[in-house]
Amino acid sequence: MKKSNDHGKYKYGMVIDIDKCTGCGTCMVACAAENNVAVRADQSDKERTITWMRLYKISNGKEFPHTEVSYFPRPCMHCDHHPPCVSVCVATATKLDFNTGIVSQIYTRCIGCRYCQAACPYGARYFNWWDVFPQDKGMDRYLTPEVSPRMRGVVEKCTFCHQRLMGAKTLAYAEDRQEIEEGEYVTACTEACPAQAITFGDLNNPEHEVSKLIKHPFTFRLLERIGTDPKVYYHSSRDWIRKLGDNFLPGEYTPVVNKTWAEEEWSTKPGRDEF
Amino acid sequence: MKDPENSPKKSSDRGGDRPPSGFFPRWMNINILAQDVGFFILGLIGASIVGWIVFPAVLYSKHPQPINFNHALHLDSERVDGIEGETKDEKCFSCHSFRDDGTFTGIPKLEKCTECHDDPESPLGETPAEKTFMTKYVANEKEIPWLVYSKQPDCVYFSHIAHVKMGNIDCATCHGDFADNEKLPLYVKNRLTGYSRDIWGKRISGFYWNKKFSDRMKMDDCARCHTEKDQKQNNACFVCHK
Amino acid sequence: MKLTRRNFIAAVIGGVAGIQATPLPWKITDDIAIWTQNWPWVPVPSTGEFSDVSSVCNLCPGGCGIAVKKVDERAIKIEGRTDYPVNPGGVCPVGMGGLQLLYDESLRFTGPMKRVGLRGAGQFTEISWGEAFDMVAGRISGLRKKGTPEAIAAVDGNPEGTTVSVLIKRLMRAMGSPNYVRPPSINDTYRMGNLLMQGTLTPMAYDLENSDYVLSFGAGLLEGWGAPGRVMNAWGMWHDGNPAKKKTRIVQVESRASNTASKADMWVAPRPGTDGALALGIAHVIIKSGQYDSRFVSDHSSGFEDGRSLDGVNHIGFKTLVLEKYSPEQVAKITGVSPKTIVSLAKGFVSAKTPVAVYGKGKDSLNGSLYEFMAVQSLNALKGSINRSGGVLLPDPIPLSNLPLLEVDAVASKGLKTPRLDQAGTMRYPFSDSLINNFTEVIKKSSKSPVDTLLVFSANPFFTLPDGGGFKRALEKIPFIVSFSPYRDETANMAELILPDSTYLEKVDDIVWPTGLQYPLYGLSKPVVEPLYNTKNSGDTVIELSRAIDESVGSAFPWENFEEVLQVRAKGLFDAGGGLVSYDPDTPAWQRQTAGNGPKPEYESFDEMWEGIQSGGMWYRPVSSPRSWKGLFNTPSGKFEFSSKLIAQAIENYSNKISKKAALKNMGIAVTDDEACMAHYEAPKTGSDSSVYPLRMLPYEMINLASGWIPSPPFLYKTIFENQLLKDKSFAAINPKTAARYNLKEGALVAVKSPAGEVQVRINLSEGAMPGIVYLPLGFGHTAYDEFLKDKGVNPNNIVQAGQDPISGYPVWWDTPVKIVRV
Repeated sequence: MKKSNDHGKYKYGMVIDIDKCTGCGTCMVACAAENNVAVRADQSDKERTITWMRLYKISNGKEFPHTEVSYFPRPCMHCDHHPPCVSVCVATATKLDFNTGIVSQIYTRCIGCRYCQAACPYGARYFNWWDVFPQDKGMDRYLTPEVSPRMRGVVEKCTFCHQRLMGAKTLAYAEDRQEIEEGEYVTACTEACPAQAITFGDLNNPEHEVSKLIKHPFTFRLLERIGTDPKVYYHSSRDWIRKLGDNFLPGEYTPVVNKTWAEEEWSTKPGRDEF
Repeated sequence: MKDPENSPKKSSDRGGDRPPSGFFPRWMNINILAQDVGFFILGLIGASIVGWIVFPAVLYSKHPQPINFNHALHLDSERVDGIEGETKDEKCFSCHSFRDDGTFTGIPKLEKCTECHDDPESPLGETPAEKTFMTKYVANEKEIPWLVYSKQPDCVYFSHIAHVKMGNIDCATCHGDFADNEKLPLYVKNRLTGYSRDIWGKRISGFYWNKKFSDRMKMDDCARCHTEKDQKQNNACFVCHK
Repeated sequence: MKLTRRNFIAAVIGGVAGIQATPLPWKITDDIAIWTQNWPWVPVPSTGEFSDVSSVCNLCPGGCGIAVKKVDERAIKIEGRTDYPVNPGGVCPVGMGGLQLLYDESLRFTGPMKRVGLRGAGQFTEISWGEAFDMVAGRISGLRKKGTPEAIAAVDGNPEGTTVSVLIKRLMRAMGSPNYVRPPSINDTYRMGNLLMQGTLTPMAYDLENSDYVLSFGAGLLEGWGAPGRVMNAWGMWHDGNPAKKKTRIVQVESRASNTASKADMWVAPRPGTDGALALGIAHVIIKSGQYDSRFVSDHSSGFEDGRSLDGVNHIGFKTLVLEKYSPEQVAKITGVSPKTIVSLAKGFVSAKTPVAVYGKGKDSLNGSLYEFMAVQSLNALKGSINRSGGVLLPDPIPLSNLPLLEVDAVASKGLKTPRLDQAGTMRYPFSDSLINNFTEVIKKSSKSPVDTLLVFSANPFFTLPDGGGFKRALEKIPFIVSFSPYRDETANMAELILPDSTYLEKVDDIVWPTGLQYPLYGLSKPVVEPLYNTKNSGDTVIELSRAIDESVGSAFPWENFEEVLQVRAKGLFDAGGGLVSYDPDTPAWQRQTAGNGPKPEYESFDEMWEGIQSGGMWYRPVSSPRSWKGLFNTPSGKFEFSSKLIAQAIENYSNKISKKAALKNMGIAVTDDEACMAHYEAPKTGSDSSVYPLRMLPYEMINLASGWIPSPPFLYKTIFENQLLKDKSFAAINPKTAARYNLKEGALVAVKSPAGEVQVRINLSEGAMPGIVYLPLGFGHTAYDEFLKDKGVNPNNIVQAGQDPISGYPVWWDTPVKIVRV
């Protein structure tokens, strides 16, 4: 059995620059609007609300006025190696597509056992406890036909906006092209980010910006050491942020210092002035 | 626990006043067996009638299209302006076209029809269907509520351009040949699922010798074709689901 | 033959066996599976032709370009436009969720309505437009016949200078009432400050993108200040993935670890309301070290050095003031910022090539303090960052035509002579043109409301005004309220009559110069979808209403419809010559420095220009290169004035009437008249006992929550953290040290009490909060709208006890004394 995506043609992935991220939440709204995500009256209850893309607020924990806050925008990581959700799915409702690297979720196939939700180390999966749209409000008028609305009792998650990949391919075919260009297929959050903090592309293609960015010493992944090989990367010049990317024991984390990258001269100085 | 002494006695008791049947137990009496078989077959036949005839009759309801559309007539490029092309498919595209973004228009909107049928007062032909079309739809600018034979559930994504243009598959391969049809077939609707019978296929059994792709439109059929055409990567879930 | 039990069983077995050989069980299993996958109540969105409609977002004065994705006639998503100069591709979360404001029917008025329930209950019955016009017009013409048109008042929340607001002002004049008030905005502070120091009337123009050092005093750059799409895009540019390429440093001055403060290169936290003192402390270091731009100071400024006026009196200058009173040590005492930090800020500011000091207070939907602005602007002047690329630019005003002069009738001219209820423009508030807090007070205190009929346009003062719930009590006294809001907001629920506007996606409207943008831009939003309900563009409503009132008022509006008025005003854009109606993302507008009137226009006739504006949604002139100094400053001295002569004159005028001491006191000034003409720091006067109210409450704004009159799209509540809002309770962020004093744990339920009232919240222990301050999120606590927004959290405005900013009279909403009591 093929265990990872090494032999696939494409491997879509994402790099999120935490230094650029302003924590505004536009990615979350763009994602919900793009993917017909349910909107419920009480969304403060984070165990019930559905946010394929979710901002996690983090802090350096220092005392005032040395406090800093920052954010981890967290889509589905589309793990490339044994995605934990895929291995546990009893209904084959979620699969890793070796050709694109996207972990799919088929709502009509899902039986709602929520095993995958428990298995996901990133909390990226959400269960539909209720049917979504209040019938009398007219809010179903903004639903897009590109993403199938979910019913009660199924699990859903970020799909890397694969409908956009389909759309990009369809457009390419209309223009007599077999292949899509870089930038033709990007996720809704990538496109929406007002600070251009998100870069999306094919990790298998060395020409794509993402392939260059992941070599950067400031780039890291969340819970990298559990070995699921996530395709969502983060980038920050601040050590305390990189340190929060995994559960390090005291002394286990080595700060990034004075490494060079891509022939460009620079040093990895701390990202912020200290007083 | 059975009492070993009592059980043979009991069994002979059950025989009552009937003559003993010798070596064979009574239930193996040939007459009774024959009777059993008879009723069994009766049940079998009954079930077959229910399963093969009653069930489909109950399951499906038949609906005529709102008006008849004569494909054969409209594809005659000598009679209809704007129908161009050598092959049947090219002619199909005159109305069932691709948009610039590659998406497929499907059944054309009224706007397309009124390119020719523009004046509700003066029909171009003499059929009653056209008359209804003119008075009921064109005059009121109302879209025709066509019943779509090949409509798939909402969770299905299908890119026509990928198949027709890039895969070089004729329209008829999946939809059957409509080009010479003078009359639209009845729309047969599955009462339970709400979808057209054409998805499952006309044969209630679902079995076909030398199955054609136009016979059925189930997921397995898509997958079979992908596999046959060496497009196995397109059997990934997110190729046909949204 | 008798059918025995045995026969029956045989037949059943036969049937069961037989049925397996029929398609029934297999087919029915399949069908049931499909049936369970397609419940009728799960919506199936219709598909069709996809298209993009370009328009401009009008949810805040930022005016970002939006592309609305449609399927046939349905709008399905809003995206940012890359072919719009303000925001290259990005919009803020509020703009992104805008479709819910269009399609959530329970947020909206679906047609003209008359109130049937109690005030505030939100029960209305639909009436026709004709009836609605008759009712308003009847009331107004009644007042005009009685000769008391001044009893009509209007609250207008449309940004200053937009065509709707021009029409509303005109309607008020034509009817004969001076009582046109606006909710406060940071632009009011900018306008006044620029008038006093520069004599210019153009909006504030910060050239952020070209700056290499942005020193932001309280401007919530990442909280939604200005055009959020623009600022956040700049933020992305400032933080290149490779720090070696990073050119711009950002310093945020703010008391809370907001997104801007945390994400900036440096965060300085002075006590709230002392930003001005900090700026003056920096000025002190710069002046003392002699590192200021002596050419600008000597050639283009006045009031820097001490001087003697014509009457022979000695006046101190800015230099003396700052050197005497604002040494780092003195400033440290006021602000709590260490002298070392002040020195390093000064060093950073002067050593940068093109630094800019930006003034703000959170987003732009609330006012700032005049003297704080002057202090910050003085810093720009010291460094010569005025009229310089990367600093503060002084472009010409946007050349929109004025509407023809209005001749008012006798009733109106008598009404217009009555004093404004809010006293704006009087000797006490000489430079203000609207003071809604005073307006509220007058009505609140009166036994019979001086306002008989209140018209409310694009505003929800009931909710948004930082006045401790004062406007609500004023509304209760006003006999007749007409709301033109498209949304069922708090103020509209108090109204007798609703003449609903269409939403921004259903109408044509203009955006005049987004806040803070460094070049003139006129944006035009257009209907993306046909109006869904029986609503009417307020521009058209005003015109039709004027005709319904009487002939004399109607004659002031000789236009067929609102669009015609837009064209009349846009005529000026064409006549001015120069200006672009399309945008190429490869040459950003801020990069394209041009002289004079800018590049050659892309159009030859007005019609061609108007067509271009309609399709592209914009007319703009790229950034102008530094302009000739001659005639640049329209101050009495013709120079940039560290010490404003207009203020000096105003004080003198007032002193001629009453004593100088009384004049200064009335204007809210606690220093000498010389100092009063310059940026200086004055401790706010709260007038409350600090032993009773030991803490201060500061409302804070978030980019992911609408804080103005627009409701937040329900989508946004997904982005709210559970320590900001949980169920029906919002959270007060306080420092763990402060919490420890009251023995409060995370999540504790407390009442925050101020002299103006109290609210119940939960406690969020936050290291990012300054000790001694209680931070309450702004935008929660609606009592109107639908289940998505109603009764969620509290509105801090309800407990704000606002003092008055000296001279300007604007509310000082950032200094409410409070105490915390456990519930």
